[in-house]
Amino acid sequence: MIPTIGHAAILIGLALTAYAGVAFVLAARGSGDRLMASGRRAVISSFVAALVGCAAMVISLLAHDFSVLYVAENNATTTPPFISAISLWAALEGSILFWALLATGWTSVVLWRNRDRHRALMPWVGATLAAVNLFFFAVMTWPGNPFTLTAPVAAEGIGPNALLQNHPFMALHPPLLYLGYTGMAVPFAFGVAALATRRLDEEWLRIVRRWTLVPWIFLTLGITAGAWWSYEVLGWGGYWAWDPVENAALLPWLTATAFVHSAMVAERRGGLRIWTVALVIFTFTLTLVGTFLTRSGVVASVHSFTQSSIGPWFLGAIVLALTGSLTLLVWRLPELIGGGRPSGLVSRESAFLLNNVLFLGLTFAVLFGTLLPLLVAVVSGDTISVGAPWYTAVAVPIFVALLFLMGIGPALPWGTASWTTIRERFALPVILAVVVVGAALALGLREIGSLGILGLAVMVAAIMVHEVVRGADARARGRGEDPLTAAWRLTTRNRRRYGGYAVHTGVLVMAVAVAVSSGLASDVTVTVEPGETARIGAYEIRHDRLVVEPLAADARVIETRAEITYSGPQSGTLRTALRDYPNSAAAIATPAVRTSLGEDLYVTLLASDPDSGAVTLHLFVNPLVVWIWIGGAIVGIGSAFAIWPEPKARRVTVEQAQPAPATASVEGA
Amino acid sequence: MRALRWLLVPLIVVPVALLLLSGFGRDPREIASPLIGRPAPEWSLTTLDGETLAADDLAGRPYVVNFWASWCIPACVDEHPVLAAAHERYGDAVAVIGVLYQDAEADAEAFLRRHGDAGYRHLVDERGGLAIDYGVTGPPETFFVDAGGIVRGKVFGPMTDAIMSEHLAAILPAGSR
Amino acid sequence: MSRWFPAVALGALLGLLAIASVLALRPGTPPTAVERADALAAELRCPDCQGLAVADSPTASAQEIRRQIGELVADGATDEEVRAHFVARYGEWILLAPSAPIVWLIPFAVILAAAAGLVVWLVRRRPAGTPAAGPVTDAERRRLHDEVEALDA
Repeated sequence: MIPTIGHAAILIGLALTAYAGVAFVLAARGSGDRLMASGRRAVISSFVAALVGCAAMVISLLAHDFSVLYVAENNATTTPPFISAISLWAALEGSILFWALLATGWTSVVLWRNRDRHRALMPWVGATLAAVNLFFFAVMTWPGNPFTLTAPVAAEGIGPNALLQNHPFMALHPPLLYLGYTGMAVPFAFGVAALATRRLDEEWLRIVRRWTLVPWIFLTLGITAGAWWSYEVLGWGGYWAWDPVENAALLPWLTATAFVHSAMVAERRGGLRIWTVALVIFTFTLTLVGTFLTRSGVVASVHSFTQSSIGPWFLGAIVLALTGSLTLLVWRLPELIGGGRPSGLVSRESAFLLNNVLFLGLTFAVLFGTLLPLLVAVVSGDTISVGAPWYTAVAVPIFVALLFLMGIGPALPWGTASWTTIRERFALPVILAVVVVGAALALGLREIGSLGILGLAVMVAAIMVHEVVRGADARARGRGEDPLTAAWRLTTRNRRRYGGYAVHTGVLVMAVAVAVSSGLASDVTVTVEPGETARIGAYEIRHDRLVVEPLAADARVIETRAEITYSGPQSGTLRTALRDYPNSAAAIATPAVRTSLGEDLYVTLLASDPDSGAVTLHLFVNPLVVWIWIGGAIVGIGSAFAIWPEPKARRVTVEQAQPAPATASVEGA
Repeated sequence: MRALRWLLVPLIVVPVALLLLSGFGRDPREIASPLIGRPAPEWSLTTLDGETLAADDLAGRPYVVNFWASWCIPACVDEHPVLAAAHERYGDAVAVIGVLYQDAEADAEAFLRRHGDAGYRHLVDERGGLAIDYGVTGPPETFFVDAGGIVRGKVFGPMTDAIMSEHLAAILPAGSR
Repeated sequence: MSRWFPAVALGALLGLLAIASVLALRPGTPPTAVERADALAAELRCPDCQGLAVADSPTASAQEIRRQIGELVADGATDEEVRAHFVARYGEWILLAPSAPIVWLIPFAVILAAAAGLVVWLVRRRPAGTPAAGPVTDAERRRLHDEVEALDA
C-alpha cells in the first residue's frame, strides 16, 4: 500500500513538473502571469509529491517492509529506528528521491519569493529548474525506481552499509551537502534566464549572488561535516583523502567561491559578465559531473555505488546541460564582451581576478587528478593512481597563494593602488608577521611549512584588524561616534564586507588548523596486553580489557572492544572497537576520539587476540583538529551574516523650501 | 570569424562526453597486471590438508592459481563450480591451485563442505605474501601460468566457463584441449 | 616614521626568507631506517582499500607490505629499489603519486599560463595616465579615500 502511494507520488511529480516546464516556457514567450501562477502552483505541488514519496520511503524503512527492494537491501529488522529513517539517503535510489525533494523545495522557494519581481527572468528560471527537476523525476520513474518491489519477500534484509551506521553525522552530512548541490541549480537557472533575455545587469548580479551564497553555505558546511565524519569514523586519523567523492564535492565549491568573488568585480566595474555567467554554468555542471562520477561506477571511490543503468542517464543530462548553456553563452558572446576597463596591475580588481585564476586552476587540477586514471586506462590500458601525495603537492601551494591574496585583497583599493597606499596598508602587517615568525624560530619551531603558515596567518589577521580599525576610525571621526559604536555600526551596516572578513577569518582558522594538524601530528602503533601501558606524546594509555559481544542496539553486529584508560592533558576512559557486520567482509573500525581545544587523542583498534586479550592499537595525537570544525562554523556564521538583509533604510521626508546651498566641493579646503 | 565561435560548443562537450562515456563497461578497480609475460612468482606454502607444496613441484606443468575467500560472497560462490569443472576435465594436464586470501582455515573448510570440494589443493597464504607477489587487490582473482612458468593471463573478478576455456587454451599443451 | 616602514618591512622579509632558505636547504641528518620505511609506506597504495596509503591502512595486506618494506630497507635496499619491488608486482598503480614528471607539471603550467595571460591583459588595457595633481593635498586625498572606503558596502 505505502510503496504504491510512494510510486504514484513520483509519477504525479513527473507529470506536474512536465506541466510546469511547459507553462513556464509559454509564459516566457509572453503568455502572461496566469501561466506563471499555474506553473508555480504545479511546482509547489511537485514538492508535496516528492515529500509524500520520501515519507512513504521512510515509513517503509521504519516498518522494515522488505517487499520494497531498496528496503530489503538497506535495512534489517534489527536496524534501529534512527538509522532506518536516515537510510532514506543511504543508497542510490533513495538519495535521488531525497535530491528531488530538495530540488523541488528550492524551486518552490525561489519562485514564491520572486512571484512579484523580475517578471522577465522568472519564466526562464522556472523553465530551467523544471527541466532539471524533470530529469530527476524521470530517473526515478525509469532506471532508478526507489519503490521497485521484490518477490518473494525476504524474512530479513541485508541491512544498512556498515560504514553508515556508526555515527550520528550520517544524519547531518548528506542533507547539508545535498542542499548545497541542489541549490546550485538556482543560480544556473538565473544564468540561463539572463542569457535568454539579455538581462545581464547589476540587478541580475545581485540576485544571483544571493542565490549562490545560500547553497554555498550549505556546501561549505556539508563538506566540513563530511570531513569531520570521516575523521571520526574511518579510523585512519585523517579527514581528507582526495577520494573522488570528496573531490566531487570540492569542485563546485571552488567554482562557486570563484563566482562570489568575480561577481563583486562585475558589480563594480561592469566587466567580466561572460565570466560570471560561465562560472554559474560550470558550478551546476560540476554538481552533475560529481554526482555522475560517484554514482556511475566509472571511478572507484569510497562512495561508489555499484555500476547501474543510471550512469548513462546522468551522462546524458551533463551533455544536455552543457550543450544548452554553452550554446546560449556563445550565442550572446558578442554582446557580453567588454563593459568597463580593468584597473591597473596592483588593485583589488586584479587581486580578485588572480583569485579566480587560482580557484579555477585548482578546479582544473583536482578534475585532472580525478580523471587522469580513467584517461590513461582508456588510452593505453595501463592503470595508475593519483593519490594524496600528488594532490597535496599541487593544492598546498595554490592554497597558500590564495591565502596571501585573501589577506591583501580587501586592503587594496578598487582602483590602481599607489605606493603610498601599499606602504600604509601592508608595511606594518608584514613587519608584525616577520616579528612573530622570528620569535617562533627563536623559540624552537623549525618546520618550514608551519612557520610559513604562521607568518601568513599573522599578516592576514593584522591586515584585517587594521582595516576594521581604519574604517571604524574614519567613521568615528566623520560622525562623531565613539570607537566601539563606530565599529559596531560599521560592521552591521556593511554586512557584505565585514561578513566577508568573518568568512576569511574562518578560512584562516581552518588553514592554520589544517597546517598544524597535518604537520605536527604524531602516531604510533603498539601491541599491549591487558594491564599494560603505552605512551604517546604526553599521554599514557592503559589497556584494561578486551570484550567481545553483540551490540545492544543491533544484535546481528558483533563488537570486539578494547576498554582503555588514558591520562595526560586529558584523562578518562574510552572504548575503541572493531565491529563485524553480517553484510560486510572486513570488520569496521570504530575509533575513539577525545577532543580538546589543543589536540585530539585518537585511538583505533587494529587487531586483537581473543585468547590473551592483547590488542594492537594505532594511537594518534592530532593537534588543533577541533579548530578545523570551529573554523568551518565561523565561515558559515560569517556568510550568513554577510547575506542577512540589512535593516530597511528609514524613509526620511525632506522638505526643500529653497535650493540647498552648494555643498563644499572636495576640491579646495 | 564570428561564426567560428560556435565551434566552442562541440569542442568542449565532445571530449568531456567521450571521456566520461569511456568509463562505462570498465571496472575501475581492475588493474593491469605487470606479470603477464614474466616468470610466475616462486612460493613454498602449506596446503589445507597439511602438506607442503612449492612452485617448483609444479615445474613443467601449466597451472591455474585462484585467489578466493569464504567471505567473498557472491563472487567466489558463483565461480566455484567453474573451477571445479576445470579441475574435473583438465586436472591431469593443468594443476588447479586455490589460495586462501585473508581467510581462516576453518572458514575455508566450511565453505568447501557447503559448496563442494572438487579435490584440488588450496594453499594457506598465512601472511598474504603470495597475494602481494601476484599483485592481488581482492578476491576473486585468477592467474594462468604455462608449462614454462610464464604468466599468460589474469582474470579479475569471478570466472565464467567461457573465460576459463579461453585462458586454458592459452596454457594447455596442444592436444589436451 | 611611516616613510621607513616599507624599507624595514622589505628588509625584514628578505632576511627572514634568507634564514628560511638556509634552514630548508641545510643537509640535515640522514633519515633513519624507520623514517625511510614510514615515508615509503606513505607513498604506496593499500591494495584492498579505497585510495589509502599503506601507512594509514589497517588491512592485513597493508600490514604485510609495511613488514616487507621494513625488511627490504633493513637489507639495504634504496628507496627506488623498494618502489621497484612493488611496482614489479602491482604495476604503477601501487604508487600513490604518478612517477611521470609531466603529470606534476601540467597543473602549474596551466595556472602560470593563465596568470601570465591575466597580467598581459591588465597591462595592455591600463587606464590612460593619472590626472595632474590639482589643489587637493595628499593628506586630503588620503582622508577622502579612507572615508569612502570605510563607508563602502
